[in-house]
Amino acid sequence: MAPLKYLEQEYPILDSNFQNFCATHGIFSEEDLLLHDLHVLVAFAEQQSTSERLKQGITQVLSIIDGQHQPWLNGMELLEDAQLNKHVLSTGCEGIDLLLEGGLRMGQLTELVGASSSGKTQVCLLATSNVAKKHMGGVVYLDTGNSFSPQRVIDFIRQNSDPAIDQAKHRILQKVMNRILCHSVFDIFTMFDVLHQLEVNLRSQMQKGDCQVRLLIVDSISSLVTPILGGGGSQGHALMASAGFLLKKLAHEHNLVVLVTNHTVGGEGGISKPALGESWKSIPHVRLRLSHDQGSSIYNVSVFKHPSMVSGKAARFTIYD
Amino acid sequence: MEEVVASPREWIDRNESAKTMLARVLTARPLLLLPPLHRVPLRVGNVVELVGTSPSAKTHILIQAAVSCVLPKEWNGVHYGGLDRLFCLNFLGSLKKIDQEHMDFDLWNNDTKKSPTYDEELYSLCMRRFLFIRCYDSFQFLATLKTLNYRIRKEQELHGISVHILMIDSIGAFHWIDRASTFMPLGATNRKTPSLQTVSETVVQEIRKLLLLHPMLVIATKATIFGDRYSMETKRNLGKLDTSNSRSMSSTSLQLPYREYMPSVWQTFVTHRVLVGASDDPFIRTNDGDCSLYFSEWLLPPQSFVDKFIVKEAGVFMVP
Repeated sequence: MAPLKYLEQEYPILDSNFQNFCATHGIFSEEDLLLHDLHVLVAFAEQQSTSERLKQGITQVLSIIDGQHQPWLNGMELLEDAQLNKHVLSTGCEGIDLLLEGGLRMGQLTELVGASSSGKTQVCLLATSNVAKKHMGGVVYLDTGNSFSPQRVIDFIRQNSDPAIDQAKHRILQKVMNRILCHSVFDIFTMFDVLHQLEVNLRSQMQKGDCQVRLLIVDSISSLVTPILGGGGSQGHALMASAGFLLKKLAHEHNLVVLVTNHTVGGEGGISKPALGESWKSIPHVRLRLSHDQGSSIYNVSVFKHPSMVSGKAARFTIYD
Repeated sequence: MEEVVASPREWIDRNESAKTMLARVLTARPLLLLPPLHRVPLRVGNVVELVGTSPSAKTHILIQAAVSCVLPKEWNGVHYGGLDRLFCLNFLGSLKKIDQEHMDFDLWNNDTKKSPTYDEELYSLCMRRFLFIRCYDSFQFLATLKTLNYRIRKEQELHGISVHILMIDSIGAFHWIDRASTFMPLGATNRKTPSLQTVSETVVQEIRKLLLLHPMLVIATKATIFGDRYSMETKRNLGKLDTSNSRSMSSTSLQLPYREYMPSVWQTFVTHRVLVGASDDPFIRTNDGDCSLYFSEWLLPPQSFVDKFIVKEAGVFMVP
């Protein structure tokens, strides 16, 4: 948000007289105006000799402020957006797809919670291969623990493909793998950089019509956030909240499926609970809990939170080697 | 003295009859009585805070209120009992995306319950009465509030009916971000630094001004962001041991199960407060399958009982 003096170029009514008047009330930028009572300002303006011009200036600033927020939508427009843009992407895993009534929804932030080796990364890799292959969408994978395995993704792709077509296989495989972009991020600030860059790319992509990014995975977000939480200050929580909002903004504005993973910590009574605490709870739209039966390839998934489903609904699925 | 004596007749002559006065006052301010907020009748000018840990059906309650607000009282001879008003919804931090289909279903179920055929015209009329906006930070929220007056006036001219409810989902969304924003001293001493306190004061001020111009009911949801020492799990365990007190999830007279974090300027602005949350028994079986069971308790004005409700496709229903 700009200081008032930079607005003068575009809006000549906000001249130095207006700026001086505002300065006497402690207003130097748009943010100051947002925190100030505009009716009181108008009342003060009326006492000045140049009241008409000042009031016009205030009206001008009000219309600039009107452009600062997102556009208003009515119910029908929201419905159209949901029907046209917010489809469901299958994860490639039948159990999860059945549980979620089709798969992961675009525009929503889905969280996978589970103890270590409960299958979170496997599900992420499976979803990656499925989106890149079946839905022919781009995938951006933010890997925080060097757990991304291209070989595993290729295994998943090969599992579901028709073995008869051998010749074109290599080319197809190359094409599919080219749709997957993997970034290694080891701290939250790098993640913010990558996400902001992605936002810029997505905005320009909309005009070009390239291979559309459909899936954004952060594996795992808890390892980026946990080191900065705690310590008494609120900066850690603020960064966590900002990260959550940025992911949801990307999901909504660019029709992405955003999938993040979270680990578990010990709670009261020895029952494990998701990490990242109370503030994080309300940020994801859908929270799923994964667990793994020891020694077998059977996984359990249950719903922690879903906008239109009862919590506690569960399913089982298998991931083959 | 003479002036006073000269016009005693004017004093006696009435301005309007009781009938016209009641007709004027009562049509302008319909009451909102819907589950699970039906214990205390809500009217315009009230500010209701729905507080609860996630997930606790807060957004479902908002949707229910929204649907009952936009449905007309009567349509094609079928009485829907709606409030026939416009309705404004502010999503903060895109914290909850209303599942669009869920809302449609709600609306559709309400419609079809009363009349056998699905009325497209009614449906699109009602959908157009919802106004949504998303805000990604406090400044966008403040910008929205400052320009809301003009927007409401425009919509009222368009639809010919007034806005009845303003909903904010959820009010504490930017709490951490605002709290952590420490700005360097800005030079001029009379300059307001953007902080949690100033943002909250401005929000309350703007909503107050808005309520003067457009009397509305304000409903805000608030997520609990501090786990309390006596967390939900512990209370559940305690409740199992102490069989005489089956309502272990609700607040005791001594302490609330969450910590208040909004600044006092907001706390004093709120006129009603309801605590909602997931109940001890996570779900119950009904004819339509499993439904999550929630409880609701009035904190302000304090009531002594706890209600239970379930959320189904067709809406929110109380459980006796």
